[in-house]
Amino acid sequence: MTRSAFRKWFWVHKWASLICTAFLLVICVTGLPLVFSEEIGELLNTDPPYASLPADTPNANLDGIVARSRQMYPGEIVISAFIDDDEPKIVVTMAPSWEAFTANRKVAHWIKYDARTAQVIRQSKPLTQESPTFLGLMLTLHRDMFAGLPGELFLGAMGLLFVAAIVSGIAVYGPFMRKLDFATVRADRSPRLKWLDLHNMIGVVTLAWALVVGVTGVINELSKPMFMLWQNTDVKAMLEPFKGQTIPTVAEMGSVQRALETAQAAVPDMRVTSVVFPGSQFGSPFHYLLWAKGKEPLTSRLFSPVMVDARSGKLQAVVEMPWYLRALEISRPLHFGDYGGMPLKIIWALLDLVTIMVLGSGLYLWLSRRSSPATEADSELMESNAAALVLSREAAE
Amino acid sequence: MKRSGFQNIWRWPAALAALTAFGLLSALLGQGGIWWVLSWIALAIPLMVIAAAWQKRRRAADSRR
Repeated sequence: MTRSAFRKWFWVHKWASLICTAFLLVICVTGLPLVFSEEIGELLNTDPPYASLPADTPNANLDGIVARSRQMYPGEIVISAFIDDDEPKIVVTMAPSWEAFTANRKVAHWIKYDARTAQVIRQSKPLTQESPTFLGLMLTLHRDMFAGLPGELFLGAMGLLFVAAIVSGIAVYGPFMRKLDFATVRADRSPRLKWLDLHNMIGVVTLAWALVVGVTGVINELSKPMFMLWQNTDVKAMLEPFKGQTIPTVAEMGSVQRALETAQAAVPDMRVTSVVFPGSQFGSPFHYLLWAKGKEPLTSRLFSPVMVDARSGKLQAVVEMPWYLRALEISRPLHFGDYGGMPLKIIWALLDLVTIMVLGSGLYLWLSRRSSPATEADSELMESNAAALVLSREAAE
Repeated sequence: MKRSGFQNIWRWPAALAALTAFGLLSALLGQGGIWWVLSWIALAIPLMVIAAAWQKRRRAADSRR
């Protein structure tokens, strides 16, 4: 690498890192409990246990559960029903109206049912009045820092800078290591040199993981714009023939249980896990939108929407997801680290911790930089190489 | 055989990156079981390299005292 190329890469590494480090530190710290969100959620869960019934007890009729929800909150609309494939629960989400929900999604509240007995297990208050949970707080800090979509896009940009810092880090790694063996840590010279070596060593050892988690994190931050794009292109085209129709009233809506069965029959190798009711901005004004997912480890991350005409109950379409939403679906497990059991989660947490060390040591190296007539890049490299030379001379003696 | 500088510098980092990629994909694409175990091993090795370099540093520092 020429000296001027090294200086340019070093400049990119310095500035990309400096701008994103504070945010990345928050992301890494909040990400740590999020790796274990399933376990922590289980631990903090105060809901009464499920009725113990034989494992093959069938689910209650969804129509009954929806009707009961409407009775409990007359005049409100049903937004969606989630049919868990993990626990025997069905969660019905409701809101005062679609307009209110579109304006502020937190006006929604949910009712959790035992899927088999259709007994209410717990009801939430409107989410505007619920006190935030620990995990909810961590997730908000991690994803948007309480700033909604702009926050997501901002942290996505910080993620891109993190990726730029890794790539430029790869570029400047070589010149620093020309006179050193892999994973050398010169602990006996100065704290600064020790931390430079640790920064380089940990950074290069974890670079593939950090790149994957960084890039998939950026993709996750773009999920709202991607769904909006899909809604405004493919979904819009699909709904073109229905133009001019009104949203079906409750009386006009056909059986949701039958819609569920129709959708399930259309995708026999998948499992339907949720129904979005007609009227949602993330769905269709005229259809039940049912989300089905595969049953294998990888395919369970891939969702297929099935549209069922809400009035006639006829199957409309099994929708093919566009490539960018497939990419989003694949990026989720690769970002969360939740796809290989508890050992993988522990490894994820440890890699997260060492990433914090790389960020922290990078910051320390910048704070402890010396003023020198040479450019910062050159003096960094000279300092490192001079110490390496002394080291190799001592070794030769 | 004398290696060029580039090879010398990058063979370990490249090997660890390949191992990481394998570990990330084997748990995702494999059907549990052995693929999970291989994933844990592959992803634990970079962590062990860090721990080993750390240990070596401490021993080097101690021996100078």
